[in-house]
Amino acid sequence: MNFIETRNVVKQYDGHLALDRVSIDVPQGCVFGLLGPNGAGKTSLIRILNMITRPDSGELLFDGHPLHEKDITNIGYLPEERGLYRKMKVADHIMYIARLRGMNSSDARRAMGKWLERFDLTQWADKKIEALSKGMAQKVQFISTVIHSPKLLIFDEPFSGFDPVNTELLKKEILHLHDEGSTIIFSTHNMGSVEEVCEEIALINHSRVVLNGRVAEIRRRFSKKLYQVGISDTMKIDPAEGLFSIEHVQPSPAGGITAEIRLATGASLHDAIAYINDRYTLTTFQELLPSMNEIFIETVSNNNLQSAQQ
Amino acid sequence: MNNISRIAIITRHEFLAIAGKKSFIVMTILIPLISIACLGLPYLMMQFNKGDIETVAIVDESGRYGKAITDNDEFRFHDITPIGTTGLHEFYKRQDGLYAIVVIPADIDSTLSVDVFSQNAVRMGLQSYVAQCLGDTVTQARIASYNIPGLDKIINDSQADIQLNCVKWDEDGDESQSDAELASIIGLVLAFLTYMFVMMYGAMILTSVVEEKTNRIIEVMVSCCKPIELLLGKIIGVGFVGIVQIAIWCIFIGIISAIFGISTVASDPELIARTQMAGNIDADTGNMINNIMQSVASINLSGIAACFVLYFIGGYLLYGSMFAAAGSTVDQPNEGSQATIPMMMFLVLALWAGIACIDNPDGTLAWWCSMIPFTSPVVMMVRLPYDVPFWEIALSIAILFGSALGIAAVAAKIYRKGILLYGKKFSWKNIMAWIK
Repeated sequence: MNFIETRNVVKQYDGHLALDRVSIDVPQGCVFGLLGPNGAGKTSLIRILNMITRPDSGELLFDGHPLHEKDITNIGYLPEERGLYRKMKVADHIMYIARLRGMNSSDARRAMGKWLERFDLTQWADKKIEALSKGMAQKVQFISTVIHSPKLLIFDEPFSGFDPVNTELLKKEILHLHDEGSTIIFSTHNMGSVEEVCEEIALINHSRVVLNGRVAEIRRRFSKKLYQVGISDTMKIDPAEGLFSIEHVQPSPAGGITAEIRLATGASLHDAIAYINDRYTLTTFQELLPSMNEIFIETVSNNNLQSAQQ
Repeated sequence: MNNISRIAIITRHEFLAIAGKKSFIVMTILIPLISIACLGLPYLMMQFNKGDIETVAIVDESGRYGKAITDNDEFRFHDITPIGTTGLHEFYKRQDGLYAIVVIPADIDSTLSVDVFSQNAVRMGLQSYVAQCLGDTVTQARIASYNIPGLDKIINDSQADIQLNCVKWDEDGDESQSDAELASIIGLVLAFLTYMFVMMYGAMILTSVVEEKTNRIIEVMVSCCKPIELLLGKIIGVGFVGIVQIAIWCIFIGIISAIFGISTVASDPELIARTQMAGNIDADTGNMINNIMQSVASINLSGIAACFVLYFIGGYLLYGSMFAAAGSTVDQPNEGSQATIPMMMFLVLALWAGIACIDNPDGTLAWWCSMIPFTSPVVMMVRLPYDVPFWEIALSIAILFGSALGIAAVAAKIYRKGILLYGKKFSWKNIMAWIK
């Protein structure tokens, strides 16, 4: 079942089309990556999901019903440009946002205690935010986003500006929330983290969804039929006409070579493996799927080329 | 979670964000003290300015008037007539600590002019004192020169000093004392207070809006609540700050009046009579206070107070929402003051119009300015002590609140768009497009 569905969402700003018939499905309990270059329309879509702005047309379903004002208590949003009230105390700040998200005081206080402890911030609760280090302030922003245990969490570039230690911590907490059943939407350029945490993605370019689906399926779809072959008894591998070509060869530290081969069109993987196995001592054979980064760049540049031609 | 409870949460936050700070408490105490200091400062400065006693030499060529200038607590005078008028500068330089030399010419009776020499800029205090001493004496001498017995008394008696008692009739012709001076003072004070409060609390709204936008918390905020809720919460929250602050000052004034015995109950003639009997106040002062109190009583104080509150609220809503809209168009904290220029212009214009209306509180300018919502909260304050017809007040308040709501609705539209836009040059064209 889909937790979020958008159908043909259109949004226009001052004559500029920010979203052009955008339809995405975010399954319940999924970690969903919303990808796209700067200015593609990601933030416009996120603002619509957060009811900060309204779409000009199109439909939005939240947990099976049309998105309604009361749903904001079930959404947590960490914007890319995130601020804090610098003059407020940590605890007051978290409580303020929690109360606005519909929590009552005692629940909010209890949840805050738990989160502050988890992030080792308990002794900072009564300190003003301006006294906090950048990393600590980011943790406060994160706590403010998740304190009301929302069903849907939207993170816009969550790791930007985080040091590696905090990035790991944050990733762990996000996956933990996912385990507890939250649906999570990630908007990011960081393709490494997409491969690591996202199950599904939608890639937006020039206001349109140009690619979507499960990450594993997309990578397979973009397969260049490249395979990595490990051979231990020779320093040379020859291409086989009609079966595969050699892309790249390098000596392997364990002895022998590691080669990248490309399967010829129409050739079967089975035949290729049999061919190599007959002639060499095969130690490894592994498909090389394109990284999300490569897919991103390829899709966006192809799409840009098409738009330019139109 | 409904809109009202969210607005309440925001209101509480905005209130505490200002009133919970130490600076608020400090300012609340300091502002009246500063005001009092400002009133008392000129007097204090004069006290400080007195400084040392200066020595002044007099060359009296007339031979008659030198004695008229006697020592006072600022100047000591020495007669150096024998020295004459030649080589005065050398004499001045030789005499260490000599402040100035006054030369009274022989023909002062006809020329009426006196020279004062000094290397310093001659103090106003010395100039006026010498002029006064010599003026009185020369006048006496001139009167005496007519040789008419008792002429000085005749002149004194013929001085006419007219005292005006303004009596105001109400519809039925009942009389009450009215005092234009007092009315204009009350009016001016109220007008200035309205001007100051609207500007002060408007600026607080602006600061709050600009802060949220420039530190980017706004994106989180509008995902938790509607912009209109945020705007209302701000206006109401800062409004409460104003109410609390003004209430504290009223209590201050109450305590101070109680200490100095200028209780408002003093308008009760019985009480004055009793106080007089107790011998605390002598009869003259008692009469004077009685007169003032009668004038005060003739001014409908509770009515004015009610109007002041209404106009303050209306003016605050009107200008407060404009300040909020202006704040939402600001990208950088230091651009805030630029965005307030239109409001400041309106407010200063209102204050000037108010001051101009003191002379003729029933004139055309006063009438129109007390109807136009941008000026009415200030200008009407000036007119109020002069008994404005009820329908005019009602109409003016209706216009004020009507336009305050209208402006607030327009401001909310600008605010809603403005808070989420960065790096855009704000043109009136843009803003007009948002309003539509």
